[in-house]
Amino acid sequence: MTDQARSEIFARVRHASQRAGAGDIRNEHFRLGRSPVAQQNGDDLNTEFLANVIANNGSVAVTRNRSETAKQLGSYLFKKYRSRKLLVGGDPRLAAMPWRDGGLLPRFGAAEDGDLASVSYAQMAIAETGSIVSFTGRTNPAANNLLVEDHIVIVDAADVVATLDDLWTRVEELPARLQRPRGINIISGPSSTADIEMHLVKGAHGPRSWHVILQGDVPEDVADRAHEIARSAAVSD
Amino acid sequence: MKLESANFLDQADNALADARRTVARDKLGVYSPNKRTAAVESFGDFDGLREHVHAVRQHSLDHLDHYLSRFEEEALANGNSVHFARDGEEMNDIVLDICRSANARKVAKGKSMVSEETELNEHLQNAGLEVIETDLGEYIIQIAGEKPSHITAPALHKPEDEIRELFLDKHSLGDRELDTPEELVSEARSVLREHFLSADVGIIGSNALVAENGYSMLVTNEGNGDLCANLPKVLVICTTIERVLPTARDAMAVLRLLARSTTGQSITCYSSFYSGPAREDDIDGPLETHIVLLDNRRSEVLASDYQEILQCIRCGACMNHCPVYINAGGHAYGSVYPGPMGSVLTPLLNSLEEASVLPNACTSCGRCEEVCPANIGLPDLLRDLRHEENRAKISAPRWRRGIKWHAWLSRQPWLYHFFTNLGVSLLNRLGRKTGYLSRLPFASGWTSEREFPVPQKNTFMQQYKVMTERKND
Repeated sequence: MTDQARSEIFARVRHASQRAGAGDIRNEHFRLGRSPVAQQNGDDLNTEFLANVIANNGSVAVTRNRSETAKQLGSYLFKKYRSRKLLVGGDPRLAAMPWRDGGLLPRFGAAEDGDLASVSYAQMAIAETGSIVSFTGRTNPAANNLLVEDHIVIVDAADVVATLDDLWTRVEELPARLQRPRGINIISGPSSTADIEMHLVKGAHGPRSWHVILQGDVPEDVADRAHEIARSAAVSD
Repeated sequence: MKLESANFLDQADNALADARRTVARDKLGVYSPNKRTAAVESFGDFDGLREHVHAVRQHSLDHLDHYLSRFEEEALANGNSVHFARDGEEMNDIVLDICRSANARKVAKGKSMVSEETELNEHLQNAGLEVIETDLGEYIIQIAGEKPSHITAPALHKPEDEIRELFLDKHSLGDRELDTPEELVSEARSVLREHFLSADVGIIGSNALVAENGYSMLVTNEGNGDLCANLPKVLVICTTIERVLPTARDAMAVLRLLARSTTGQSITCYSSFYSGPAREDDIDGPLETHIVLLDNRRSEVLASDYQEILQCIRCGACMNHCPVYINAGGHAYGSVYPGPMGSVLTPLLNSLEEASVLPNACTSCGRCEEVCPANIGLPDLLRDLRHEENRAKISAPRWRRGIKWHAWLSRQPWLYHFFTNLGVSLLNRLGRKTGYLSRLPFASGWTSEREFPVPQKNTFMQQYKVMTERKND
């Protein structure tokens, strides 16, 4: 009987707990302060973000606007796969992309077995860890992040936040409980495994490659600087 | 799970004799400390982070009744069904009921140590369900019919050629070459993909439960857990009561510690938070979600002197740094949880009688405590368990007599120093020529395998005396 199990477990836990009032508990928790965050590598959020994406086995590109992004995507896919086919999620910003500028043939919808590459638009990105954040919901099929060979993510430069904690600030700003996403996916690299003799293999279940396009008003040399930082960090390991 | 801890010594002997399998452990013992150190250094204030998480975890355990009930309230409001299970059997029955009422035939499972603890797979399979482990390591040992040997790298003990033979034998895919780890992973990927797409129920574990908003955190590198959480129509999260944290930001602090301590990554490839079932307009996600909260004696541990072990975040750093684990291997422990954390947890979740050998599988070197992200005093907890073993007269009378004599001797400093001086000068004289001894009375276990180095000059206390005198001069 679950009800009996519940009350027994609660009784035992209560017996071992300090039985403080909610207000005291809140104050005690507040006094614990905040978690230290990773030290910044890079002079600004965008450089730090891209350097950490590279450290997470991602590839990066920087574009100034949607048309450049479409062109970048087109050449990325053509160079790598001689293909112009691209699976596109339902984010309204993706619907408004000038796909023709990149010579692309988009298919809108959710990934099926066999789809090669998909593009998602990140809700936000985190500089501290080099992660992109995707919310489930009406527009972003989770399968598009998880089933394709090559996952491409567009990040608006203005959506790059400093730390993991900032993610929750953004989520808490969403109005009501029902508008909070069912799933929050923090993605920080291609799907990987080291389960066979500790040998790192990419593409365990999902993407073998992870490509991040940072779009917006950023200095031209930001990608070069990010590569430099990632290189020097890798050497010092 | 059936404990086989009593045979630790024999199992460790077997592990050491199998040269092919020691390679992977030696690799783990060298690489993972290096990777962890690099990750810790690049973070900055890692010790500050450990202290912070330790304080948060302690606070959560001090007020677990408050946070558990808050989590339940929020999780229900998010649309989940919340179940409580006193023991493994109860958890297994709850999960089976959920599968039955969903008319499920196939279950896709993400990695969950809790389900290993309760032997959920066997329970579901005995009821006629098809259960597929989807973490590559777990999948390998599932089709091999073996048990995990490490909490984060379950198939650490399987050499590549054994995995190749296993795949060629179990997957009927005709003639093919599987020369590289990449090809092996690729094959498992295509086999498992079909299961993901056809599973009726997904079962995952949880790395943290957030009391303030009812979200559950899931961390993987493969992304298999997320596939289990998003594709099947029913999702079951099997976890334990002590996983609850007050806030989402506290979960982020754990996230900062976890991957750095495990693999030396700054964060795992997929770190996700799930709140409950899909909403009306959502294009995907499970229609029904269940959270099963298992106790299985954790509430007893909470009230005991061993409460600290409940702060464990299951990163595996203690075993990666443990000389006993690296040599003996995970299977020697005969328990789901091996290594230092397992040697504390196993006797507590089962009984000291069945697992008393585990707290003795320790050299008291203290490395596990140095690297434990939750700052758990593992060597102290292991020593306390050994004390209890002695008090409860579980160990052999010969051992207890020896310990008693040694305790008495240690309390007579002049006699203790007399005997150690005597011992050191005797050994010095015996091994004067070579600097080592190849035979020793009462220590043939040591000298049968290697030479015993003769102590240099004099005892520690004599040297200490000289040093402090010099310092005071």
